[in-house]
Amino acid sequence: MTFLAYFGPVFEPVSFLLLLGGTIGGLILGATPGLSPTMTVALLIPFTFHLQPVQGLILLGAAYTSTVAGGAVSAILLKIPGAPANIATTLDGHQMAQSGQGARALQLSFLASLVGGVIGVFLLIFLTPILAEWALSFGPSESFWIAILGVTVIGTLGGGSVLKGLLAGCIGLWLATIGFDDIMGAQRFIFHPSLGGGINIIAALIGLFAIPQVISLLARGRRHRDVDVIRVARHPLMQSVREVLGRSRSVGIGTAVGSIIGLIPGVGGQIAGLVAYDQAKNFSAERDKFGTGHSEGIIAAESANNAMVGPSLVPLLTLSIPGSPTAAVLLGGLIIHGIFPGPDIFRLYPNVVWPFVNSMLVGQLLMCAFGLVIAGFAARIAMVHHSVMAAVVLALAVFGSYSVQHSMNDVYIMMALGVGMYFLERYGFSPAPLVLGLILGPIAEGNFVEGAMIARAQDGILMYFFTGTLNLVLIGIVLASVGYSAWLELRGRRGPEGGV
Amino acid sequence: MRVDMRTLERLLPPGLILIVGIWVAAISYTQSPAAAFAFPRIIATVFVVLSLAVFIRTVLRPEAEDVTSAAIPTAEWRNFLPGLAIGLIYVYLAAANVGFYTSTAVVVFLLITLYDPAPHNRSATWIRRIVITAGFVAVMYGLFAIILNVFSPREILFR
Amino acid sequence: MKKLLAAALALATVPAVTLADAHGSYPDRPIMLMISYGAGGATDFQARIVTMTAGNEDALGMPIAIINKPGAGGRVGWNWFATQAETDGYTLAAYNIPHFIAQSIKGGVEYSADSFEPIANWGADPAVFVVAADSPFNSMTDVVEWAKANPGKLTFSGAGLFVGHHIAALQLEKASGVQLAYIPNSKGGAGAMKAVIAGEVMGGVNNLSDAFRAREAGTVKILGVFDLERNDFLPDVPTLVEQGFDVDNSSVNFRGIMVPKGTPQGIIDKLSEIVPTMFENGRVQGKMKAGGSPMHIMTREEVQAMWAARQSALAELLAGL
Repeated sequence: MTFLAYFGPVFEPVSFLLLLGGTIGGLILGATPGLSPTMTVALLIPFTFHLQPVQGLILLGAAYTSTVAGGAVSAILLKIPGAPANIATTLDGHQMAQSGQGARALQLSFLASLVGGVIGVFLLIFLTPILAEWALSFGPSESFWIAILGVTVIGTLGGGSVLKGLLAGCIGLWLATIGFDDIMGAQRFIFHPSLGGGINIIAALIGLFAIPQVISLLARGRRHRDVDVIRVARHPLMQSVREVLGRSRSVGIGTAVGSIIGLIPGVGGQIAGLVAYDQAKNFSAERDKFGTGHSEGIIAAESANNAMVGPSLVPLLTLSIPGSPTAAVLLGGLIIHGIFPGPDIFRLYPNVVWPFVNSMLVGQLLMCAFGLVIAGFAARIAMVHHSVMAAVVLALAVFGSYSVQHSMNDVYIMMALGVGMYFLERYGFSPAPLVLGLILGPIAEGNFVEGAMIARAQDGILMYFFTGTLNLVLIGIVLASVGYSAWLELRGRRGPEGGV
Repeated sequence: MRVDMRTLERLLPPGLILIVGIWVAAISYTQSPAAAFAFPRIIATVFVVLSLAVFIRTVLRPEAEDVTSAAIPTAEWRNFLPGLAIGLIYVYLAAANVGFYTSTAVVVFLLITLYDPAPHNRSATWIRRIVITAGFVAVMYGLFAIILNVFSPREILFR
Repeated sequence: MKKLLAAALALATVPAVTLADAHGSYPDRPIMLMISYGAGGATDFQARIVTMTAGNEDALGMPIAIINKPGAGGRVGWNWFATQAETDGYTLAAYNIPHFIAQSIKGGVEYSADSFEPIANWGADPAVFVVAADSPFNSMTDVVEWAKANPGKLTFSGAGLFVGHHIAALQLEKASGVQLAYIPNSKGGAGAMKAVIAGEVMGGVNNLSDAFRAREAGTVKILGVFDLERNDFLPDVPTLVEQGFDVDNSSVNFRGIMVPKGTPQGIIDKLSEIVPTMFENGRVQGKMKAGGSPMHIMTREEVQAMWAARQSALAELLAGL
């Protein structure tokens, strides 16, 4: 209970203002397509030079927490996930918003984020030593199987036919190999000079989700807005609170999956939302409603991606191992002030680390409160005429994909993928499995190649990838997941194939 | 054998995907160094198998719902093609050569003018369009150029 | 607001000003510094510190913004810098020696040492050999003895192929005469360090700065420094030469700032005069020391000589590969 003694510094005027500013700014930047949590935190680093260590970390932590949650805003309202973590939120969130219930979707998403986020930080506070040990046990072979577990999710994502889901995932895995490979430096599939830098995941995310959206808006032609879109229902907050509390199973699955996957260095947050969504669907009594604007889908996805924030800091704080790009930037923020993470960090720097952790708890509350305030206004975006919407989304896609790494190539790739995706979508493909393939490709390949090299020097590949408790457990989960889906398919509970 | 337009329209997408799959496989199995292509080979093999399966299913079961939906009605083409053309010119030509802010202003204004049904003969319509365009570009400039310090390509009109 | 005004002013005077005669006022807008590694990595983190005073009036008077273009051990960023970066003096990049020279010797990239003009060097981060804190190895001799008894089985990690760590690994293999299993990590130096701490590999080559911090945290032991002399941060760790291995400083990771070839000479001169003074700033030095990052400031002329020396040494070392 040591942490309770360190709430004071969080409420000092400067710290609290930074926390407030970081949270609000993070929500806004997170809601802008292309501005990922990593980029936002990296942009703030120079400001922390001028601050006390505690203040700097509070600012970075607040921005990290709220950019992840803010990504849900554009995922729900525009069907453009702010970051890979929010992909699963588009599946039901945008559907719900389209039926005029944008406010409800946003409220559910912020409330679920709050629950998941707070539990995640509590895990960080109470279980750090155990979790740290656990995070270390994920070597190349275990990370490889986690990636394969992600691949098994691919087929069922997006609600269309399983075959097309798998094919889309496969196209994503292939797109991920374009460019220089990370280990050998060999050039692969660079059939146009602009592909030399490979396909940036954020740029691809924007293109695959935003551009089909723009084209669909334009396809409505020069006419007045659809009458039914004007009905933007205001939604009583208490009803959403009751709904989230009533969906405790989705919250539980989301939080558990998010915390566990968030902990694994290098795999982390990007797929937590999607895996949680898939599991919540598997265990739901209302499977068929997923993908049609079902509240369980939003709740599972958003509780998962915020639950991951706390545990993802465990390997960083105790072992100095950044589990994600964002954590790597936070590590820089610590080192700049001469704080070297390690097993004793909570004992050596209690005055810095505990207020930092506590500020994330307070930050979750602020994030939720502010999010709920803007939910009502933000939902009105559905009333904007489609001509303005198409123009704004197109311009945001260009600015967003460019600013990831200041590269016109990313903009060109974004647009090409987006236009292609529009036609693929008409043919029954969905972007979510494609992006998941794009994310999992490098994780699966990197860990496989690394594991294979270690294995060759030791006992051989079979021994390396198929022995060890954790490997066997993961293989078991993969087989069970595939088997369960196949069983459901055979029993026909998934309903008729297709149905775009 | 009646090969009508609809059959062609149905077979075109899976056919194109299959061709891409075969091309990926051909490259994966012929390029060196082999070690760097080990992983792409696995993917390419699965790619070809899956796209072949989709193609065959399209031929055998043309009544499947998700196969027939590919056809885009002519009216829809007519609606989005002008906007898409503007978008492509914006992304591939204008943004880098004219500058982000200049080209964005022009594109936003053009798209609103083309797709907003407000009557063209009223000055209020034009004032609204100009205000929306200017306001949006100003927000973009504030966010990306001033707050985030994004270095966009040189503008031809200023800097 | 200041930028907006400047933009408005520039708009008013547009035809008159061309870049060639603008050196006097250079720089009159923020400058970009491209880092070919990800945000949060050692190069990125140090670059953010050493450029933090750029906006001061006695320095450049304009801020330097860091832009990351990571991928394939730096190849993606440097390819872009050599072929697409503007040569107007507003586009700088960080270099890592021996990485980009080794990659250009290996081939398959669009740059070489001749594609770039060095400005100044800020740091020299030697490679060190690390093992997990609970490892039975206590010296480089222990490591090599074990490897002699088990040829090809000693697994050790590093940040990738044809980067400083790989060069150090090659030198160790050559000097000890035994076959080792170097495991390049697809997630760079941080991933390679994690592999050591988690016991996935038996040892690893890593940056001195990162290893120093890991040792402070109690997770690793450092067995040797791949440099000509001991380092101030680790006075108790002997060099490889002291332990009987003929290894020079070819793998030391020099970091500094460069511009693309074709940048006007006036701008190069101005930068190479001001940038080293930025590195010497007391606050910069303090932050670098606090972060365990060794500084080594070199002027443009010294860097040019160092690049040339590395070019020939690496060409020889990599000739057999």
